[in-house]
Amino acid sequence: MLSKTVECPKCETHITIQGNPGETTALICPNCNTKGKFTFQKEKVEIKTISEHNIIEVKNLTKMFNGFKALDNISFNVKKGEILGFVGPNGAGKTTTIKLLTNLLTPTSGNAYINNIDVNKNPTKALLSVGSLIEVPGIYDYLTPHEILTYFGKIHRMNKNEIDQKIKEVLKIIKLSDWENKKTGSFSTGMQRRLAIAKAILHSPDVLILDEPVIGLDPRGIKDIRDILKRYKSKGVTIFLSSHLLNEVRETCDRIIFLDGGKIVTQGTTEEIMHRIKIDTIEAEFLNQLTEADIKKIETIPEINSFEKENGFFKIKFDGSPETSNKILTKLTKQGLKVVSFSTKKADLESFYVSIMNEEKGVM
Amino acid sequence: MDANRYIPSTDDFKNIYLTIKFELLKHIKRRRILITLILAILIPLIFFAVPPLLGHDYASTANGFAASNLGFANLLIILSGAIFAGDVISGEFENKTGLFLFPTPQRKSSIFIGKYIASLTATWVIVSLYYLITIMEIASIYGTSGFSEEIAQSFFLALLYCTSVVSIVFFFSSIMKRTITSTLIGFFLLLMILPIITAVFTVAEVDPWFIITHNEGLITDVLGTVNQGGFGPGQGVNFTIFKPDLWRGIGVMSAYTVILFFSGIFMADRRKME
Repeated sequence: MLSKTVECPKCETHITIQGNPGETTALICPNCNTKGKFTFQKEKVEIKTISEHNIIEVKNLTKMFNGFKALDNISFNVKKGEILGFVGPNGAGKTTTIKLLTNLLTPTSGNAYINNIDVNKNPTKALLSVGSLIEVPGIYDYLTPHEILTYFGKIHRMNKNEIDQKIKEVLKIIKLSDWENKKTGSFSTGMQRRLAIAKAILHSPDVLILDEPVIGLDPRGIKDIRDILKRYKSKGVTIFLSSHLLNEVRETCDRIIFLDGGKIVTQGTTEEIMHRIKIDTIEAEFLNQLTEADIKKIETIPEINSFEKENGFFKIKFDGSPETSNKILTKLTKQGLKVVSFSTKKADLESFYVSIMNEEKGVM
Repeated sequence: MDANRYIPSTDDFKNIYLTIKFELLKHIKRRRILITLILAILIPLIFFAVPPLLGHDYASTANGFAASNLGFANLLIILSGAIFAGDVISGEFENKTGLFLFPTPQRKSSIFIGKYIASLTATWVIVSLYYLITIMEIASIYGTSGFSEEIAQSFFLALLYCTSVVSIVFFFSSIMKRTITSTLIGFFLLLMILPIITAVFTVAEVDPWFIITHNEGLITDVLGTVNQGGFGPGQGVNFTIFKPDLWRGIGVMSAYTVILFFSGIFMADRRKME
């Protein structure tokens, strides 16, 4: 038996339904009597599920700084419970977007909404359930984490017991428990970063907006943050994440937007993006060392685009199709070369990123 | 009625209150509060301890003693104002702590009003301590009969002058990029630049009633024992002294307070974390 909470498209009442995989369940909203149905197995929904509801919505956002267009009419949205990766080089407009989403900047045109509330017009309401980490914030170095977090807890109307309990909880998550009552002036960059994350998650927000959260962290710290993101995602928290670390983005994000020069270059689910990354290389290993004559023979195979030795393996560039791969293997064998291993390799997200950024600049 | 017109809610007042508490905590935790505390205690103690040590008598009246003691109130007020209000806004932008503070569900104006009130409270506390010690000294020298209405008036004027000084420094903090600039401009403007301008107006025989530092003299003037400074008799030098008028002075201090406070809030609210 499966359980699912859906949202009525008319009155937004949450309705919990149960059913077996493949079963279609009829629904009537107890509040407004709107009828609908939900099929468990195929995930087809007549009533919009919560996961399809846009928590963050950016419409035609443009930001100019003294004649320079930092953001050029971008639009996107983030659904409930989704982790969106926002990727791009320095100066692409990532932080500007985040500052517009948190009312640190005012858009030149366009709108940014969180939970359907215009951030610029009603920031107090829009930011109520948002936790944010922007750039590298300064920290009041003469205060302790407990004092700093207490203030932010009170701003979110948490009571004293709740604040004390949550401070202990978040400091444990970010591994700063031993530093709760020590002045932050002695904190390393990584510790300050962790504290900033603690501030972002203190009030159990529904939305997390994180700008390069792993900057300044060591590999263990990066893993901790990745775990935190996964933990919050499992709780249904919507996360907007800007990062340079593409592997982090690939591992944690459901969807990725590539931004450059203030424009969205491409976007898609992580799966789609990874699918678009072509297989274009064969890694081959031979039993015997190749002679000059062997290499010349290989180079005469028309299906091979290029051929080079790297770390003991031969890297063969080809068009990526399985048929070509099979032809190359057949021809190598026919030429009497003893192939020990032969496997196709995908380019990584980093190569994809570099290639689309180059496309954007016309460098190919 | 404009539907978008902003009406302050109880939430805003609660946020202002929370910011005042947080800012006061910050003032207490910073070591520089010690400078003002030490001055507030040390200055009146020097005036109390030095005359007997040098074999001199205290002033013949309690008001005379208070006037000499409180002659340094101006310096203490300007120093406290610069220290407590100089970086309240510029610091959030320069140190990037604003990235921590501003993306929270509260109006920026609530934050700035809270910061202003906290700076004012800290300055008032320091000046009140200065007066408290002076009054205790008066009690020990002249007995409780030394307490006068004039001292109470002086205290009220000192608090009003504090408020206008904090407003001036707060305004500079809202428009300057660097904390050091906003603090020093506020400090030197009040301690040197405006007194020099006052002197220039005086030489030109123009009453500088509209200059805030000119009206600061009321703090000791109300005690009725003003120093008759100037050149000695027979030196052949004549010059005019413009005395600040009590009610006009109160009006000028109030005007500086209101205009610069609202200008500061307006400017700070428009600033963005670029």
